[in-house]
Amino acid sequence: MKKQAKKVVLALMASALMLATACGSNAGTNSETGTNAGTNSGGGDKPITLRMAWWGSEARHEYTKKVIDLYKTKNPNVTIEVEYANYDDYWKKIAPQAAANELPDIMQIDTGYYAQYAGKGQLADLTPYFGKEIDVTNISENALNGGKLGDGVFGMNLGVNSLGFQYDPATLAKAGIDSIPENWSWDDYLSIAAKAKENGIYIDGGMRAEVFFGYYLRTVGKKLYNDAGNGLGYEDDQLFVDFFGKLADLVKSGAAPTPDTLAQIKGVEDDMTVKGTQVGVWQWSNQFVALQQAVNRPMEIAPMLNPGAKEGLYLKPSMFFSISKNSKAKEEAAKFINFFVNDAEANKLILGERGVPVSSVIKEELKPLLSPEQVQVFDYVAWSEANSSPMDPVDPIGAIEVFASLKSLTEQLNYGQISAEDAAKKFRSEAENVLKKNK
Amino acid sequence: MMKSLSLRNNLVGYTFISPFVIGFLIFTLIPAAASLYFSFTDYDLLSAPNWIGLENYTSMFTSDDRYMQSLKVTMLYVFLGVPLRLIFALFVAMILNTTSKAVGLYRTVYYLPSIIGGSVAVSIMWRNLFGDQGVINVMLNSIGIDSVRWFGDPNAALFMLVTLSVWQFGSSMLIFLAGLKNIPTELYEASGVDGAGFFTKFFRITLPMLTPIILFNLIMQLISAFMTFVPAYIISKGEGGPLDGTLLYSLYLFRQAFVFFDMGYASAMAWVMLIIVGVLTAAVFATSKLWVHYETEGGR
Repeated sequence: MKKQAKKVVLALMASALMLATACGSNAGTNSETGTNAGTNSGGGDKPITLRMAWWGSEARHEYTKKVIDLYKTKNPNVTIEVEYANYDDYWKKIAPQAAANELPDIMQIDTGYYAQYAGKGQLADLTPYFGKEIDVTNISENALNGGKLGDGVFGMNLGVNSLGFQYDPATLAKAGIDSIPENWSWDDYLSIAAKAKENGIYIDGGMRAEVFFGYYLRTVGKKLYNDAGNGLGYEDDQLFVDFFGKLADLVKSGAAPTPDTLAQIKGVEDDMTVKGTQVGVWQWSNQFVALQQAVNRPMEIAPMLNPGAKEGLYLKPSMFFSISKNSKAKEEAAKFINFFVNDAEANKLILGERGVPVSSVIKEELKPLLSPEQVQVFDYVAWSEANSSPMDPVDPIGAIEVFASLKSLTEQLNYGQISAEDAAKKFRSEAENVLKKNK
Repeated sequence: MMKSLSLRNNLVGYTFISPFVIGFLIFTLIPAAASLYFSFTDYDLLSAPNWIGLENYTSMFTSDDRYMQSLKVTMLYVFLGVPLRLIFALFVAMILNTTSKAVGLYRTVYYLPSIIGGSVAVSIMWRNLFGDQGVINVMLNSIGIDSVRWFGDPNAALFMLVTLSVWQFGSSMLIFLAGLKNIPTELYEASGVDGAGFFTKFFRITLPMLTPIILFNLIMQLISAFMTFVPAYIISKGEGGPLDGTLLYSLYLFRQAFVFFDMGYASAMAWVMLIIVGVLTAAVFATSKLWVHYETEGGR
């Protein structure tokens, strides 16, 4: 018996060890400290260390580090420590840092999380730096106000995005359709989808619930959230039923893929637009270049659906740079943000990957350097500028949870497990349950 | 004189246990106490917590459908996964309980899944195995069964998680193996002389002699199954889909804490889980009198 106990203990210790190593190997982070690249003296400036964090793809990490190196050669007294990750991991790293009052000096943030951090006093108001450390002469008021919350602007808009239907004309032709009509409407869209279905081709992979429902509400003069941010901005659940009912009918009729088909997609190699079995994707303009590269055929961007496309469409800040409230070097952080937004050399590295630049001068400077696909994006955003309406106030605190509820309900709707009417009611009660906390 | 000597003697002892004690205080006791406090607040990570009494606990059971769903999914996962895993672990342990020269190698190989089970590589492998053109569906097709949408059908997705958990049978297997080695061979020899076949030996000797080990494994696996997080997280890309079919308790807790910033609610969920696991463990212990057989002191 004793021997057995010993063995059990040994086995346990062994397994504990394995577990410990297994956990340890997952905990790797992408932190590195940049060294001071410049050797010339900084004119007696005292050394400054900034921490900076962002999310993104490998390509974004690479060019962002190059921009930082460029900044350091021009400002040898500044050292910038970088932390980066993919989108999901990024927010999981940032949240505990916020709880510990250790947010980076400069952090990238997007509209979904913006209110959460800015509204809870984690971010510094940038207004005092506008016109001083941050040059705003070439940036429109509209673009700056993308980061407005209450009386302050807590994030510098890094670039703008616009919504559209990014499609492959070759697949469209295969589906038996010559072209997408110029000011196409919901009826055009539904009839094109039906025709494509007859030829065995999906029209799209669905519309991302919160983004496109928000658009739809704008086209009829409503908003997703009310102005106080403590409830929904529309009263008539019929709007929900109209919008999601149409989309669910497309799924039911086989014109758009079912959710279980979508769930089986492993990666780009299974993507149906790439394979030519789906006409296109409804998404933000900064995702166009990556999609086009994956598809590797000429692609087009069609505008949003009428009626009310002009009222519905808006330019959205793709992301912000914010300065944390606890930063000890806010002016220096602001100077770096200015460099990122206004420096021509820096933007030749960025090339609009964080959205079409907000500075009109930079936009012009970049034009000759862009690839044909990037030009398409710049042109579409320029067109949108003239054919859109100002953005709604930023999403309120709790928006992420409201999105999750909307996503789950539309999923149930597309699986046919719930009626559009019930989903509308349930969404209202779940969303208001979350939003009522914002008194 | 005597007193200072004994203090000094004790001090040596305290010094030796201090790494554990300090670690326990810093990494277990204090965080646990903090989470108990937060569970009565609306703490959101970003601003100071406000006391809200039992609201987190009541809303869990009255107004949160998704919580009930996660509880249901977790119960299914535990009550399907744990017995299957134990049976499989015992099965492999029986096979490996032979005197082959390569047995050390086999043990290592069969233990491997337990080490790599939580890694991203496994989730990619699982995505390929269970994909539309994956091995599993090809095999199903070859025996005349239609393809299953493993990632699109909520029940299938949970079943896939269960198979992943069964596949990570390594630690229970090692413990079973140790137990099997300790069953005196005389018992088998004697029963063999009396004409007992394989199944009689298994049900009359192996299983009863192994019951203390089964109890140990059962409790350990029960607890760890309730806390399962990584497989669900990586397979559902952190969302618990499709249709919340893989929304395990810890995954939902994690989402509340770090995605929705509702740390107070997540803390309350953690304490409810502690109570559930505690009750279940106690229940297993209570029934153990009926089925666990100890060799020493007249069966106790």
